[in-house]
Parts: sequence; structure tokens; C-alpha cells
Amino acid sequence: MSISNEILLALPELSLLSMACLVLVVDAFSKDPDHRITYWLTQISLAIVFLLVFTSIPDEPRLAFHNSFIDDAMSSVLKCFICAITIIVFLYSYEYLKENKLMKGEYFVLGLFAVLGMMIMSSAYSLLSIYLGLELMSLSMYAMVAMNRKSAAASEAAMKYFILGALASGMLLYGISMIYGLTSSIQFTEIAAISMTSVENSRFLVFGMIFMIIGIAFKLGAAPFHMWVPDVYQGAPTSVTLFISTAPKLAAFAMAIRILVDGLFPLVADWQSILMVLAVLSMAIGNIVAISQTNIKRMLAYSTIAHVGYLFLGLIAGTINGFAGSMFYIISYALMSMGTFGMIILLGRYEFEAKNLEDFKGLSGRSPWFAFIMMCLMFSMAGVPPFLGFWSKWFVLKELVASGYFALAAVSVVFSIIGAYYYLRIVKLMYFDKPDKMTAIKATKQMRAVLTANGLLILVLGLLPNSLMQICLTALAH
Amino acid sequence: MSLGLVLGKIMGHARSDSEKQSPYECGFEAFEDARMKFDVRYYLVAILFIIFDLEIAFLFPWAVALDGIGLVGFWAMMIFLGVLVIGFIYEWRKGALDWE
Amino acid sequence: MIELIVFYIFGALLLGAATMVVVMRNPVHAALFLVLAFFCSAAIWLLLQAEFLAIALVLVYVGAVMVLFLFVVMMLDINMVTIREGFARYLPFGLFVAILMFLVMGLVVSSDYFLSDAFSTFSHVREGYSNTQHLGQTLYTEYLYQFEIAGAILLVAIVAAISLSMSKAKVTKAPNPGDQVTVKKQDRLRIVKMDAEGKE
Repeated sequence: MSISNEILLALPELSLLSMACLVLVVDAFSKDPDHRITYWLTQISLAIVFLLVFTSIPDEPRLAFHNSFIDDAMSSVLKCFICAITIIVFLYSYEYLKENKLMKGEYFVLGLFAVLGMMIMSSAYSLLSIYLGLELMSLSMYAMVAMNRKSAAASEAAMKYFILGALASGMLLYGISMIYGLTSSIQFTEIAAISMTSVENSRFLVFGMIFMIIGIAFKLGAAPFHMWVPDVYQGAPTSVTLFISTAPKLAAFAMAIRILVDGLFPLVADWQSILMVLAVLSMAIGNIVAISQTNIKRMLAYSTIAHVGYLFLGLIAGTINGFAGSMFYIISYALMSMGTFGMIILLGRYEFEAKNLEDFKGLSGRSPWFAFIMMCLMFSMAGVPPFLGFWSKWFVLKELVASGYFALAAVSVVFSIIGAYYYLRIVKLMYFDKPDKMTAIKATKQMRAVLTANGLLILVLGLLPNSLMQICLTALAH
Repeated sequence: MSLGLVLGKIMGHARSDSEKQSPYECGFEAFEDARMKFDVRYYLVAILFIIFDLEIAFLFPWAVALDGIGLVGFWAMMIFLGVLVIGFIYEWRKGALDWE
Repeated sequence: MIELIVFYIFGALLLGAATMVVVMRNPVHAALFLVLAFFCSAAIWLLLQAEFLAIALVLVYVGAVMVLFLFVVMMLDINMVTIREGFARYLPFGLFVAILMFLVMGLVVSSDYFLSDAFSTFSHVREGYSNTQHLGQTLYTEYLYQFEIAGAILLVAIVAAISLSMSKAKVTKAPNPGDQVTVKKQDRLRIVKMDAEGKE
């Protein structure tokens, strides 16, 4: 393939890079304290990239740049979702940053670079591209967490995130170097071919793979590598927590699929058993510890850990349908998490954040409509039919049972019932408790409209789950 | 003459104790350590220096291999440099290079 | 033969410098000895005909990273006395780790693989071969995509470093002469109308 064709394949990435540079320069020269131009340019660039990806979803996977880049249906679908989700995340963030006087142009620039990193991860087809994409994404996010210099909690969170993230990258690199040493390749198809044939080396390959799984588990926040998640979720500005808990999860999912399925599928039996341990631990720790939390951001952090456990269940199933189930799960989780953190931003005001569960008391009296939206989100998170969250659990469990893991499926059902308790507690607080004070909700029309759409999307997709599932299935079909 | 200095250093006995080592400050106890906290700006300048130094490390093999990598390799470096020039413009505008 | 002599000289210097890094009381001196250690390793790399690594080590580590080290050492205002307090307590553990690492290294180096003929003599690359050129040849063609990502990562590093450390507004108190000249009466003087106060 000629170089111009290859560049054409990477056009979304390239245009995002140039737009991010443009936004950076424009922001440096603008004097607007609200950074309106920066914000709108950011949204326009994301929309352009979305359209570029959306209009060129390929039927057949295409490789470029010496097989280190892949343009296939999965990467395109994930990139579309990453861009769309980030547009909404930035819309929520803009309100939050303005209200809390944290507005900085760099927030959006770093956000764009993080999105670039996620897109690179989604379409990486060699270990080096995956690693570089991951670093680009993580580096931007460390800085975003630390952005609020006045808050000691945010600085602490950034420090923890940075150190543990660097440790995770180190683990990943260690695993990569082992795999490279054994297969003398960093390209996924070659690794798969070599690990298929070399039986005598498979013991050592598993060793390298374990380190890589540790790296992935760290980034996804799976137990027992979840230590950073609660502190970072709680300490970071809510808009950054919102960002961290949505789009990067999709990129981490892509990383897991590329490494475990595209690269190391011959070792499927080995990584299934490792993921099983991680999944059970995550579901247990996430769901049980979440019950005792009083801070809602911390509670949602533990809920993320639990959700990552369910995500692994689909991978454990080891079939295309199982992987599609996982993809469905992570997309629906990102949508739900986006709505929930959006709700926290909506209820907050300057120097006041709806950070405690008590702040949700009597929300039905203050605003029946948003209490209803929050109820949809919580029911969905808990996995109550007919909301989206129910179907994501359903697809994953169905594939798990189809692959014969009955005990694991039973355990995960038990944990999801335990987990339902703390989601439903919020519903109870909103509808059956009296509010401490009846302050009206102050938010712009845009914010209200988008949040409403976000909540209704959960309901609508819950009524028509097959459309999203079909997208996931075709994305992973090859 | 220097021989005398060296001999004196070797043969003479210096009894060092904490009082002799402590800094002299007009009869008071010393107020603070001679080492003081530096402004974070020094650090920023050092970081920016590292980043551009790394860029030079990339330029070096490029310059050596320029014959063999063709136009694609040439433009690859131009894009790389372009991205970093953007960073430089940003740095300049933000006043990271000013010292008050 | 001459290579062996050069190797031993630089090897001994490297070990000596590394020891001094650990023993030195003054952290600034320790950092300077680290520079020496880097130089000696660069020389050993040159001996192994890895000239790009040697150049990168001097250029990046000695040139830039050590400057950063020195700044950090100065900025953190480290009190060496308090740091040294735990020395005796951690010594046994430190020695244990050191001996363990030494044993592991010994086991690796004395394995059959390293004892083979290929490692017993200096292997020479062919005349006119430059690994800098070879690196350039692959980096800008085969790893083009990854190279551009590295550029983006460096840009993010610039943005992150500046946005995190330049957040404070300037706190200078120096008056601006231009402002002093152009100042108007109404900028400084505020006339307040008040009712006359009656006698209590």
C-alpha cells in the first residue's frame, strides 16, 4: 500500500492531532476567561473526527504502517463511541468548570490528546502502538486530574494515579519485552502465529502474558489492582472523574481485545483462568465495599470496579458472542456512568458538590424529572429490566453459561444482587426521604436537555437492546 | 610552595567537630541551611529543556540516515518538528520562558 | 588486548563513581558522581560499538536528566542528617537484597548461553556499519507511525508541565512606569458624599 493510502487510513487520527494543535495555539492567543472559542473548536474537532470515522467504517480490516495500525469495524465503532461520548463529557465539563471557576483552555486540549491516545489504542495492531497510545492517554489524564491546584485532594489523587499508572505501564512493558524476546515480534498476527506453533516456549509466553494482564487490569481498575480507583474518582474534579470513567474504558477494552484475542488467543485457556480470578475479586470487592460508602463518587468508583468484573466475564466466555457481550457491556457502562456523573455535576453549585449520598435526599420533591432520570440510571446500573444495564449483564451471562461456566455465572448473579442494594438506596433517598433544604436546581438549558437525552437513551436502548448488540457483533465479526 | 600546602594538609591534623563545621553568623546560631528552596520555575525550565533535548536525540539518527529514508522520512521529521514547534509557540505565549 | 584494558579502566571508574554516589554526604556531589558514572557507561557502550546509545546517554542523561536531578535535589531542600538516620536499620536488608541480586546476575552470566564462544570475545561489526544509521533507517520508515505518536506525547508533556506549574498569576509588585504616567485622577481618588453628622 502506498504511503498516501496509509495516511488516508489514519486520517481521523491525523486530523485530530492537527485540530488539537490548532486548539492549543488558538487558546494560547485568546484572552477570553470563559475559553468559549477553545470549547467550541474542541467540540467541532471531535464532531469532524466522528464524521470522518463514521463515514468510512470498513467491511474488511485494513492494515497500514508496516502492520502496526489496523482499521477495522471494531476500531471504527469504538472510535465513534469515544468521540460521541467525549463530546457530551465536554459539554457537562464546560458547565462544571465554569461554575467552579476551574476553567482552563488546557483542559480541552489535554482532553483532545487523551482522545487521540484512545483512538490510537483502538486501532493499534502492534504492542508498541498500543503502549504509545496508552501513554499518550494516561499522560493527558494525569495532568487533567491535577488541574485543580487549590485542592489538596486532587493533587494527592493525581500523585497516586501517576505513580500507580507508571507502575502499571512498567508491568505492561515488562510483559511486552518478554513476549518480544520469545516471539521476536511486536505485531499481533505474528505473535499469534508464533505462539500457536512454539509449544516449548508457551510456559514463558504465559509469564509475559501475566505481566501484560496486570497492566491491563491496572488500567481498567480491576481488583486486586484497583487501589487507585476510589482515591482518584473521589479526589479528581468531578468533570475529570466523568471523563476517566467513560471513554478511556472503551480504549482499555480495545487494548484487552487486541492483546488477548488478536495477539495471544493460542493461550486462551491460560488467560481465561487468570481473568476468572480477577473477575470474581472485582465483583466481590467492588460490590461489597461500595455498600459502606457515604461519598457518591467513591461509591461509584467501587461500582466501576464491580462492572469491570462483569466485563471480564464476556472475555472469559472466549467466543465472538462473549466478546461482543463485553463490548456491549463497556459501551453501556460508559453511557450510564456519563449520565450519573452528569447528574452529580447538575446538582452541584459553586464550592458545593453533591458529593454525599445525603445530597440526593428528597430529589423527587426538588425536581421530579431529574429524580426520574437518576432513577433510570440507578436501575440500569443495578441491572433492573428493562433498562440497558440489565441487557448488558444478560448478554454477558448468557454467553458465560453457553460456554459452560455455570458456577461463575451463579457467583456473578449473587454479587449483582448484593450490588443492587447500594444503587437502590439512592432511589430510596430520592423518593422516600425529606430533603434537608429545598434549593432549586441551577443549570443551563443545554445541560438539562442533554442529561435528559442521556437518561432516556438508557431507557430506549434498554427497550431495543438488539440494535446495539448487532453493532457489537458486526464489529467483532472478523 | 604548593608542596608546602600539600604536606601541611597531609601531615597536619585537623580535628573537626560540629562547632567548627557550623557556619559562622556574627555570634548567633545559624538561622537556616545554606541550601534553600528553589523556585518551581527552575524545574519547569529543566523539564522543557529535557523535552527539546529528546527531540535532538531523534534528529541525530534522522540526519545520519537521511540519504536512505527518502521523502517520507524527511516529511515524517517535519511533522514531528511541526508538532513541537506548536509546543514552543504555546510555551512562549504562556510566558514559561519569561523570568518575571 | 587494548580493548580489555580500556574496558577495565572504565569499568573500575564506573564502579568507583557508583559507590561514591551512594556514600557521598552532599547530594549535589552525589549527583555529580552520577554524571561521572554515566560517562563511564557511555564509554563502555562505545567499546561495544553501540555509538548511538553512548551519544544518547551523554546527550539526554548527562545533558538534561542530570540537570533536572540537580534542580530537584536543590529544590527539595533535603536534610541529609534525617535521611541517614535509618542507615544502620536498613543495612541488613539492603545487604541481603544486594547479595541476592549479585547471585542472580552471577547465575545468569554463568549460564551456558553466555559462556558460549559468541560472548567470550568482543564481536566486531563490519567495516562502515553504523547503528545510528541503521536506527534512522528503520525508525523513520518502518516505525513512522509510532515516531509521530512520540511527537504527540512530547507535546502533551510540554502542555502538562506548563499548565500545572504556571497556574499562579504573576505576583510581582514592581510598578509599571507606563501605568504610573498615564494614571488619571479618577483612577486613584474617590470622592464620597456624606451627610454631616449632628452632635450627639
